Amino acid sequence: MRQRFQILSDPRFRLVYNETRSFIDGPAPNKVRLNREGFTLLDGIKKKTKVYPGMLLATHPSIEKGDLHSPMYGEITEINYRSIFIDAVDPEGIEGQVEPVDVLAEGREGEELILQMKQLGVNTKSLAQDVDTLIINGLNPDPGVTWAEPMLTQNGHNLHAGIELHKRLAKAKNIVLAVPKGMHVSYDNIDVVYVEPEYPKSVNALLIQEVTGKENPEGVGAVGLHNIWSLGRVGVTGLPLMETVITIGSQTQWANYIVKNGMWIGQLLDFSGIDLRAGDTIVRGGPLRGECLDRFDRSITKGTTGLFVIEAGTVPPMEGHSPCVNCGACVQVCPAHLNPSTLSRYAEFANYNACLAEHSTSCLECGLCGYVCIARRPVLQYIRLANAKIKEMQEFVYEEKK
Amino acid sequence: MSNLDKKILFSMSVAPFWHCGRTIRGNSIHTGIALMLVIAMAIWHWGLPVLGVVALSALVSLLTEEFWNKVMERCSTWSDGTALVSGVMLACLLPATAPFWLVIIGAFCMITFGKMAFGGYGANPVSTVCVGWAMIFISFPIYMDPNAMLLQTDFIDPLVRLKYFGPDFMMNCVSFTGLLFGHQIGALGASQNLAIIIGGIYLLARGVIRMEIVISFIAGILLLGGILNIYNPEQYVNPFYHLLTGTTLFCAFFLATEFACAPDRAIGMWLYGLVGGMLVVVIRTYGIYTDGAPFAVMLINLLSPYFAMIQPKPFGVKQ
Repeated sequence: MRQRFQILSDPRFRLVYNETRSFIDGPAPNKVRLNREGFTLLDGIKKKTKVYPGMLLATHPSIEKGDLHSPMYGEITEINYRSIFIDAVDPEGIEGQVEPVDVLAEGREGEELILQMKQLGVNTKSLAQDVDTLIINGLNPDPGVTWAEPMLTQNGHNLHAGIELHKRLAKAKNIVLAVPKGMHVSYDNIDVVYVEPEYPKSVNALLIQEVTGKENPEGVGAVGLHNIWSLGRVGVTGLPLMETVITIGSQTQWANYIVKNGMWIGQLLDFSGIDLRAGDTIVRGGPLRGECLDRFDRSITKGTTGLFVIEAGTVPPMEGHSPCVNCGACVQVCPAHLNPSTLSRYAEFANYNACLAEHSTSCLECGLCGYVCIARRPVLQYIRLANAKIKEMQEFVYEEKK
Repeated sequence: MSNLDKKILFSMSVAPFWHCGRTIRGNSIHTGIALMLVIAMAIWHWGLPVLGVVALSALVSLLTEEFWNKVMERCSTWSDGTALVSGVMLACLLPATAPFWLVIIGAFCMITFGKMAFGGYGANPVSTVCVGWAMIFISFPIYMDPNAMLLQTDFIDPLVRLKYFGPDFMMNCVSFTGLLFGHQIGALGASQNLAIIIGGIYLLARGVIRMEIVISFIAGILLLGGILNIYNPEQYVNPFYHLLTGTTLFCAFFLATEFACAPDRAIGMWLYGLVGGMLVVVIRTYGIYTDGAPFAVMLINLLSPYFAMIQPKPFGVKQ
């Protein structure tokens, strides 16, 4: 109550947006840029190779990471150590086609199904966690992201298939679906729990606390609804996963799109009709936890949840030289009961050991500290920096001991 | 026109990309609006000299801050408005007829020793305004005593009556409504109770100050004052008189709530306010000063690091 009244008065933090429009099919890409870091290219995949939709381009050595498929007809224009660039070309004359497989009917289970899903491009890391109870996070991950409700209430076919496949491959004994309080849903193949849809409750650790009543309990994990949708997509189409659902939004308009993996954000923003001006910020991911992009040729990946334009002038600018003024707003909102103000100052002056002693590693990275900071300090970024440095230090010590 | 054809430079930032919109400058503006009400009511009671004191205090505060920023080779910070607000708040604690040199010394000492000596806004351990006030109050007690400075008035100083003549004598001279409308001798802004309450509620609604501190500060006064009053009504006054006299409400809404010097978590804030309110009653009843509310604020400011130690364990950490 106090938080809503005084600090988090933004209605968008209630993660229920009564979104009823179904997903819009995104544009056919002109160009794509696929991330290939960590992937092994297949033989014969090189510059000027003609590709077709669903064609396997590269595999990943880990079973947790889905393989890479071409999302369209095209020609590879460039391959560097980070990315594969493909230009769209006329499908005439390109040989090859992927035959759909009916994964649901084949009835594979366990490791076998995990491997098959990985080969079909699905990231299985969080889906196949080795835990007793797995909670499917049915909340919109960030404020502003709106695809969770349509995913739960519409197109039940896809969700049903996703849940079914997930049941078969999951190592968890119990799987429950967490949905916003007040939403009326019923699925015959899964238990449903209701949670308060208030950001930051959609952060996995806090969702687990909300459902189980414990902080970081043993043997409980969470997986995003987005991953279940991807599984379902493969189950329904029988094709490798080549697309993702994202919310594209600005201050005034937003909608949910099914877009191809690797789409350039420039084309997407054009397609969604958002007009850009100098000084705007383009954000990939949610507005509270995402990252900002500098060019139109950056791309959407399979895990992307949204693409947002923050118009110049809608938020107070960061001025750089902004010392902490001890206002304590971050301390009041921190869901992990940390002292973000103190941590950010330790990190500012590179005192990472002090950050560790003050439990900076318990940070859940929800971003509320930066949201409420009246001095416009990059509080979350300082804490992320500290945690990265702490990890580096610990790895260094570990190596030394060996 | 397509976005792709435009040459656009994006601004780069870090998560979170949304912001609540509250800034230091915004808070200063809101506080300024609340203080303007107080000043307007003070002008109504004490006339135009009020304006001179307020303007001089604000100007000297600004210049002092800029001077120290220059000396310390730091970025100019006048535009955040905090020096201006501190200056106006200091003026609110002065008598309406304060001599110009007193205002200048007060404002200079306030910014120098209450703010810049510790590194600027938000780094001070004790309320900036209270530091400035305390320095001139102790150095020039006669000039700071409204009772001695405001001779051409029909109002009386309720606290002096209370201190030296007893509760009955005071209660015969003043009424609650009179006190609420500022019909009393006191500091120029701090005795305008109605304006302070309205301004304070505005600040609460804007989230500039925290209601825990305001409520607990007032509760502390009513609690200890009430106990004493019930124990011996002849000797100890009804605590509501404490609330409406002197600088009590101004301290509760504007000074004790200065967030840099107050704890941030709920339990700490409640204790902070309660102790502060009780100290006001203790100083007035047993101390040598008639008012003493700013001293109470300074004392709880110094205790605030200890209140801040009351904190929950971090998420997921086993004890």
